[in-house]
Amino acid sequence: MANENLRNGILEIRVDENSPLFDKTGMLHKEFPSDFRQIRYFTLLVVQSAPPDIKEINLLEQQISEIIKNAVKHGNKCNPEKKVRVWYSFSPEHAHLVVEDEGEGFRDLEKWNEFNRKRQACLEKADFETLADYVSFRTARSDDNDGGNALFAALEYWDGGFVFNQKRNAVAMLKRFPKRRMGLAADES
Amino acid sequence: MELKIRKSGENYIIDVNGEMDLYNSYRLKELVMKMLEKKVERFIINLENVDYIDSSGIGALIYICSTIKKLNLKLVITNIHGSVKKVIELTKLMGYFPITQSIEEALERMEA
Repeated sequence: MANENLRNGILEIRVDENSPLFDKTGMLHKEFPSDFRQIRYFTLLVVQSAPPDIKEINLLEQQISEIIKNAVKHGNKCNPEKKVRVWYSFSPEHAHLVVEDEGEGFRDLEKWNEFNRKRQACLEKADFETLADYVSFRTARSDDNDGGNALFAALEYWDGGFVFNQKRNAVAMLKRFPKRRMGLAADES
Repeated sequence: MELKIRKSGENYIIDVNGEMDLYNSYRLKELVMKMLEKKVERFIINLENVDYIDSSGIGALIYICSTIKKLNLKLVITNIHGSVKKVIELTKLMGYFPITQSIEEALERMEA
């Protein structure tokens, strides 16, 4: 199936309240306080239910940690009174998550897409000099510890879709993994 | 994360050990900034013993790389592997960072 985030050959973050990715039927659920110090611990609590095959030398953990960090830091502004809710479902062939915070929503989504279009244009031309201006997405609220690059990787990684709800305080994502036989991915054999 | 500095000729090799994540990546940035104050001009960042990096770690490398490029000094990042390599690939920065496979290759590039 084609990546639904692809628009004119470029990956974009979409807003689609009605995306099937928001269907939480049968998914496990956890909620956490917005404690910045515990982001990686919360992530491990979620990832521990994933089959070893799809953990891919901690790449799955890393990608989920970025989304939980965004919810804790940018969504809930690290306010411990505010919760981050995570719904998740894993199998050897997929990882599906919905992460919701209590913040005002991702206001800069369109700016981010525009920034990413310019970044992709530099990459296509292998123009690494201009790319230097598009390696890190910053807003007035960014601080020195914000890498500004987490969502570039997220859009690539979550190849089954990466979609925000209308309020933009919840994001649903899907990663597909190739079918494995005898410990080898089918397309590797 | 542990940071150790060693010297090879005029080159300063920073060996990073452990995880470069949202809690500690700023320390590598601070170390490089201090070394720049002390007029160090050639940096090799060795990631051989780094098995985990997140967007803060990538952000630290971007900051270091762009600062050193602006100053017209030399930097090579070496020995990236496993999920560190995958995260840099996902971010499509393999062509942006000056990367070599080994310390030896990094030292050769410094002399080029």
